[in-house]
Amino acid sequence: MISAYVTLAVLLLGLALWRQTQPDPGHRQIAAGGWRQMRPLLVRIPIALIAGSFLAMLVPRELVASSLGDGSGLQGILLATLLGAVMPGGPMITFPIALALISAGTGTAQMVTLITAWSVLALHRVIAFELPALGWRLTGIRLLACLILAPIAGLLAMLIGAART
Amino acid sequence: MAGQTGGKPARNGPPLLDGSTVFFVLLALGAGLAVLLLRGADAFNTALADGLGLLLLIMPIVVAAVLVGAYVQAMVPREAMERWLGGSSGMRGLLLATAAGSLTPGGPFAAFPLVLALYRSGAAVPVCVTYLTSWSVLGINRALVWELPLLGPEFTLTRLLVSLPLPLIAGLLTRGLLHRFSRTVT
Repeated sequence: MISAYVTLAVLLLGLALWRQTQPDPGHRQIAAGGWRQMRPLLVRIPIALIAGSFLAMLVPRELVASSLGDGSGLQGILLATLLGAVMPGGPMITFPIALALISAGTGTAQMVTLITAWSVLALHRVIAFELPALGWRLTGIRLLACLILAPIAGLLAMLIGAART
Repeated sequence: MAGQTGGKPARNGPPLLDGSTVFFVLLALGAGLAVLLLRGADAFNTALADGLGLLLLIMPIVVAAVLVGAYVQAMVPREAMERWLGGSSGMRGLLLATAAGSLTPGGPFAAFPLVLALYRSGAAVPVCVTYLTSWSVLGINRALVWELPLLGPEFTLTRLLVSLPLPLIAGLLTRGLLHRFSRTVT
């Protein structure tokens, strides 16, 4: 957690210094824009966290650990792809569930797969936004091209995990 | 910076309470009740304390992440991104689309209209697919605001690292699919 604080502090400092070298919108204006985006999060993140920690208590640990744990291998990656694709809702719903699944024993590679599948396939988003905006042709081509991305991400994460141990 | 306010406006706050937030409040209450009934009061208290403790750790990260996002938006305006994406559809175009996608903040209501506008103004389909894929797997804003605080820096870094090649793969696959489906592609 410390490294997250440090990373963000460095990023923020760097951006602020870079901004300092340019004349355009000042820091105050940028902070005001940030505050507008912050407001809904002040409500959403606490709710999401508390819901996540309750859900973590309800998740069946043995089942999660055996079907999505580090030992679940390729089968776990395919299951995670399927789960990610049908996971409904935005980050406010997905990340607390992910937190609950990780604390119940889901492996890193499997969780990378799940988040990637949710990110690129997200069937609820396809139906709600993509089909109406982009039409069947473009959406269909995109989905076909993206089907294998989540398993690729999972396998790469597995390789990284294996290289580190 | 605006000070912490104790009480938030309970009603008439459209950006504060939307449909999915209300749904999630209900889900949190339901899950809490289920924990109370199935696991008892001790488990309920532990879960609540865990959640609140994590919240205290996370809030500074969220504030910093939102500010980083605000700076990035100020530095890379939408017009610049449209210029990046309107150009070539070769490898350079795909790489620019990857960069633009990862910097685009906001949810689907921000990204899809942009893609639609690009598509209509003649951007190549592989570029559009690469951009959308990058926005969804490499989006810096979402990674900083949600993933870093909830799932931790190590997980977030690993996921971003393995996701780096994905937008390019999707763009190249799209090119292949288009070639296969219609011989008229020039």
